[in-house]
Amino acid sequence: MTRANRPMSDDVLVELDHVGVAFNAQRRLSAGKFWALEDVSLKLRRGERLGVIGRNGAGKSTLLRVLAGILVPDRGIVRRTPASCQLLALALGFLPNLTGRDNAILSGLMLGLRQREIVARMPAIAEFSELGDFLDQPISTYSSGMTMRLAFSVAIQIEPDVLLIDEVLAVGDAEFQEKSGTALRERMRQGHTVVLVSHNEKELAKLCDRLLWIEHGKSMLEGSRDEVFAAYHGDLHLVGSPPSGAI
Amino acid sequence: MRQHLIELVRFSTYAELRTERERSYLGLVWWVAEPAMMMATFWLLFGVILKTGGPDYVPFLLVGLTVWQWIRSCITHAGYAIWTNLGLIRQVKLPLAVFPLTQMLADTVKFFYIFALLLVVLWLMGYPPNWAYLALPLVFVVVFLFAAGIGFLMAATVPFVPDLRFVIEQVLTVAMFLSGVVFALDQVKEPLRSILALNPVAELLAASRGILMHGQWPDWIALGRVTVISAVVCAFGLWIVVRMTPRYPKLAS
Repeated sequence: MTRANRPMSDDVLVELDHVGVAFNAQRRLSAGKFWALEDVSLKLRRGERLGVIGRNGAGKSTLLRVLAGILVPDRGIVRRTPASCQLLALALGFLPNLTGRDNAILSGLMLGLRQREIVARMPAIAEFSELGDFLDQPISTYSSGMTMRLAFSVAIQIEPDVLLIDEVLAVGDAEFQEKSGTALRERMRQGHTVVLVSHNEKELAKLCDRLLWIEHGKSMLEGSRDEVFAAYHGDLHLVGSPPSGAI
Repeated sequence: MRQHLIELVRFSTYAELRTERERSYLGLVWWVAEPAMMMATFWLLFGVILKTGGPDYVPFLLVGLTVWQWIRSCITHAGYAIWTNLGLIRQVKLPLAVFPLTQMLADTVKFFYIFALLLVVLWLMGYPPNWAYLALPLVFVVVFLFAAGIGFLMAATVPFVPDLRFVIEQVLTVAMFLSGVVFALDQVKEPLRSILALNPVAELLAASRGILMHGQWPDWIALGRVTVISAVVCAFGLWIVVRMTPRYPKLAS
């Protein structure tokens, strides 16, 4: 169902065709279904930087997890080329009693890097995270800021064909936020294919060339940045205050 | 892809053993001390107080408990493996068998430490090394296959029915007595005895004891049958994990 049967045009890496994802509302024997995504279609082309906008609970994070291949749709079709799609996840698999160095290797392996690739990048990780000798201490001795610095420094090393980012543009203290935000923007400008979910419209306007607007699990409009922003703001203005609701 | 998975399993196993070692003051010592204390308890109860077996009872019990403890820890730890990693599973796409497999490999490493101690104890008690030891690797591979099969099944089920974890320990305790770990099953009357003999663990324990205590080669036909059963159980467990994979990212933890 999720495999490509039909040939796609050359530069389309992932295509969603009227995709829906349902969750069980509760851990009960007879729980009702809740459609986090109802009907979303999109085409992601190579080298494209696609931003996803929509109110809270619109299904943006669920959409990213469908693109990552973590969630299998309950209806609709996902067509994908063999391209790797990876969610930028921080502190994935971190174990408190392990040293920073070992956690970097473990996390990197889970994010799809080979062990020798991570070892080769360890100097860069050490430098970027500013951990110095602490890299060989267990991370249970770290402050939360240090842990986040290590987590970001590892995550930024991954090089999937499609990088999926869910609102993690900046972590740590003000200074490191600046640094991590810059590094990530740098990565995005290097011509990678990126899908970015954010509430920060300025950020989206700066970084993305195309936008997808989703609302209540349905794709409303996919198109150029200005076109979609115009429609989205028009709608916000009409509706007034955004509806409450959580994912 | 395959190379990458091997690296991931290997490093996760190392990480698991490493954190376990760091979590307590005596670290490594507990890998051996804990099972040794448990064996002493059983020996005191059934060997000294109840005077259960004959002269061979202590080695009979030690071999049984060593192998059983390995199987038991594989099954319980694998059972928790997917459930405790649901948060991670929601963020990254990985073959889920990695999680229970890592736990079971860590348990296997610990088993080898305990087994080395067991060998020393057996030699001191007058059960010297013999040529039948050559069959031990095969017996252990089959033990692992069987334990892994049940482990995969538990790993696949517990996330859907977390309530199961209250039941596993009790079921395993019953299974221990029914597998001839503490008492020899030849005291059991027919037809129950033939039914109990279908349990692969009983046969595998008999083979281990024959080798370690009497220098006997395993009953190859029985071992062959148990190998087939274990391989089927293992394949089935893996298949269930793969089959259920799309459903775990949607579960509430």
